Amino acid sequence: MLPDWPCVFRTSLSYNGAAGSALKGMRSVGTRSRDEALRNESNEPAIGFVNKVLSQSFVDGPGNRAVVFLQGCNFNCLYCHNPYMINLCNHCSQCVSHCPEGALIFKDGLVAWNPEACIECDACIQACPHNSSPQVRRTNPHDLWLEIEPFAPFLSGVTVSGGEAMQQAQFVRDFFTEVKAQSNLNTLIQTNGDVPREDLEELLPVTDWFMVDLKAFDPAAHRELTGSENERVMDTIRFLARHKKLFQVRQVVVPGFNDSEAEAKQTAGFLMTIDPAIDLLFLRFRSHGTRGIAEAWETPGNEVMASMVAAAEEAGLDQVHRSI
Amino acid sequence: MDKHDSTIYSKFNPYEDLQQGLTSEKLDVYRKSVLDTLKSPGMILRQKRDTLALGAMCALPYPQVSDRARRLIEDEVICLISEGAAPYHPRYVAPDYQKLLSLGSEFLELAPATDLYEATAHLLTAYYYLPSEPVFLGRIDHLLEPFIDTVDEDTAAHVLRSFWLMADRLNPSAFSHANIGPQETKVGRLLLTIDRKLKTLTNLTLRYHPDITSDSFALQAVANTLEVTKPYFLNHQAMTEAWGDNYVTASCYNTMRLGGGIYTLVRYNFKEALAQSDGTISDYVDRVIPETVERLVEVVNSRIRYLVEETGWFETNFWVQEGFLVRDRFTAYAGVYGLAEAVNGLMANAGRPDARYGSDPVANELAERIVVRFGEELAKHPGAYCEGKNGQITYHAQVGISSDIDVTPGTRIPTGEEPDLYAHLATEALLHRAIDGGISTILEFDQTAKENPEAVLDIIRAAHEMGIRTLSIGSANSEFIRVSGWLIRRSDLDRAKDEKALRHSSSYLAAGFFDTKPIHLHRIERKV
Repeated sequence: MLPDWPCVFRTSLSYNGAAGSALKGMRSVGTRSRDEALRNESNEPAIGFVNKVLSQSFVDGPGNRAVVFLQGCNFNCLYCHNPYMINLCNHCSQCVSHCPEGALIFKDGLVAWNPEACIECDACIQACPHNSSPQVRRTNPHDLWLEIEPFAPFLSGVTVSGGEAMQQAQFVRDFFTEVKAQSNLNTLIQTNGDVPREDLEELLPVTDWFMVDLKAFDPAAHRELTGSENERVMDTIRFLARHKKLFQVRQVVVPGFNDSEAEAKQTAGFLMTIDPAIDLLFLRFRSHGTRGIAEAWETPGNEVMASMVAAAEEAGLDQVHRSI
Repeated sequence: MDKHDSTIYSKFNPYEDLQQGLTSEKLDVYRKSVLDTLKSPGMILRQKRDTLALGAMCALPYPQVSDRARRLIEDEVICLISEGAAPYHPRYVAPDYQKLLSLGSEFLELAPATDLYEATAHLLTAYYYLPSEPVFLGRIDHLLEPFIDTVDEDTAAHVLRSFWLMADRLNPSAFSHANIGPQETKVGRLLLTIDRKLKTLTNLTLRYHPDITSDSFALQAVANTLEVTKPYFLNHQAMTEAWGDNYVTASCYNTMRLGGGIYTLVRYNFKEALAQSDGTISDYVDRVIPETVERLVEVVNSRIRYLVEETGWFETNFWVQEGFLVRDRFTAYAGVYGLAEAVNGLMANAGRPDARYGSDPVANELAERIVVRFGEELAKHPGAYCEGKNGQITYHAQVGISSDIDVTPGTRIPTGEEPDLYAHLATEALLHRAIDGGISTILEFDQTAKENPEAVLDIIRAAHEMGIRTLSIGSANSEFIRVSGWLIRRSDLDRAKDEKALRHSSSYLAAGFFDTKPIHLHRIERKV
């Protein structure tokens, strides 16, 4: 009835990336299209690379949710708010000397992180030249569930985010399968939508909803913001809407890129061609956590946000919101 | 000065004497106190009159108790919370207003109510004649739902709005408390809509049961509490298990039987009880608590007996004569506070000053052990005329008064020392299980909660399932801020500092908080 409240997040010593052969091919820095490297031929559950687990979130789907942030992303957004989650660690070991607590060890060519000693000062993240973090844990679906289980009574569901969650599609599938087997929690994936169709199909049976970021409707703006095309993102939105799995489409409003009424109308117009009931949320860009040129960008004001909402509503969408 | 000089300790007026009442050598002090009240620039007539009346009553001696009990009062282990020397009416009453509406009242010369206009007018009349502070306004939805269709919808909303506004303005106190739920009703819905707009001080509790209360009604209540920090979410299932169906919530979050009430509230200070011990956990838990609880019961019973046997209140009052209040539905409160300081003190004595209540598992276990032991001891001694709670004095977690300094309300984890949300609820839930006469935990959420009330409801449900009885929930940046167990408005606090007249007596108490416990007003800044 009443769960114990051990400090569930602490394991004694977790060698991130110390998976040996399973990791080969994962070491390279840069964007990856999918988690092929994580797939194995046996029926063993997939291994996931977890950056962080939040036990409580009010902003990642319906109700109170646990959120799992997976490491690794196939986009390289100018305004990325978690740039240290873009790549897996390549064990260059440059971070090790920056740790004031000796929580990082370099041994046998691998960087190991000791969460017990870590004071979460994030000096290692600041020092990382590869948009990564040594504070990433390898875990299997069952162990990840055990981390969430103690506070499951407080939750409506679990959201997997990132990074780009779908980069570890097989792990997410196995994890959600475990969640469904162990609880009545619902499941949600936050994705940038640039995802192979077959990965989505695999996830459908165990995923209640998806939230898709449409960074920009305008192809050029999307390319400039993310380094990638948005064609497949729009396909994903169509596909998920058709399968009644689209919880929400989100767009971060960035000054100079997608903050015009025309952009809002086009985005809404695109969604209208699918279903006027699609939920669209405009989020304010905030510079917190960003690196590079985005640090100097301004946060759009209430007027801009209101005009975006109004334009999208004018285009016919029923449910348009904006963040606080 | 000798702390045991019974005339000087802080909880009493300077002219009071427990044993003798007012003596001739204290007359000058007494007159000065009367004059100070008369001239007070910050009080309206009614407040001055109440203060004068309390002062007059305090010229009498207190009901006789043993030397040992009196010593504990002087040592502030047992606190008489300014009820005064001679209890001549019950502290709280929860009249059966439904009976009044359906039968009328001979004393008030009221016929049975036939429509919404009459029903609301009857209630407002009844409040005026209440035989105690107006702490209970009724289970408003139960009372008014039968009349809601006697007028059209717009009229119903208008009448209910006027009623709710007038109930607040006639009794402008956050100790006035109305109840709704667990069923969704038209009146319940309307009242939430009205309350959110009017932003009155009058307190509101939703008796919540996940299988009975509809989600949409509960979500409306969540949206309200994030704006105006009410209604409270009461664990209806847990309360019915302890009290049966006919219980109510009054005053801050006090539980009592409908048609009954509370004779008296006597407080017990866990922190001061520490000084009675040799400093060890075993002496505190196994000797001090049993001994002092027995004396506490003696004090409570002396006051109940005075009220029931000496004043004739239950023989002469129309509320009793007409059956709106029934003597055998009454009980009294033993209200505990200062648990956090007791636990932290005992842990420090045991060589663990770092082990704080709220964050340390051993300290948390000790907190539970103390609270459970107190309850066991209380249950060993009969409460006089306490048939309303099976002959027992009721266990209550007392929210604090403005003269409490450096002592945490009830059994709460001190503000600013709360662990993360789930651990906070799990820790306090153990104590909620042990205390069934009113106990609350305060939660505060940031603005994101307003966009996702379902998330707050998730947490309420889980908290109730763990045993939490009352949750009071607010959000940062809302107009209301929570000071312990009641509501105040920030603007009123500023005015109190200017000594401007305030209608809200409870804001005065809160203003006292502001001077002595500024941290309570900084709740808005604490982590959520």
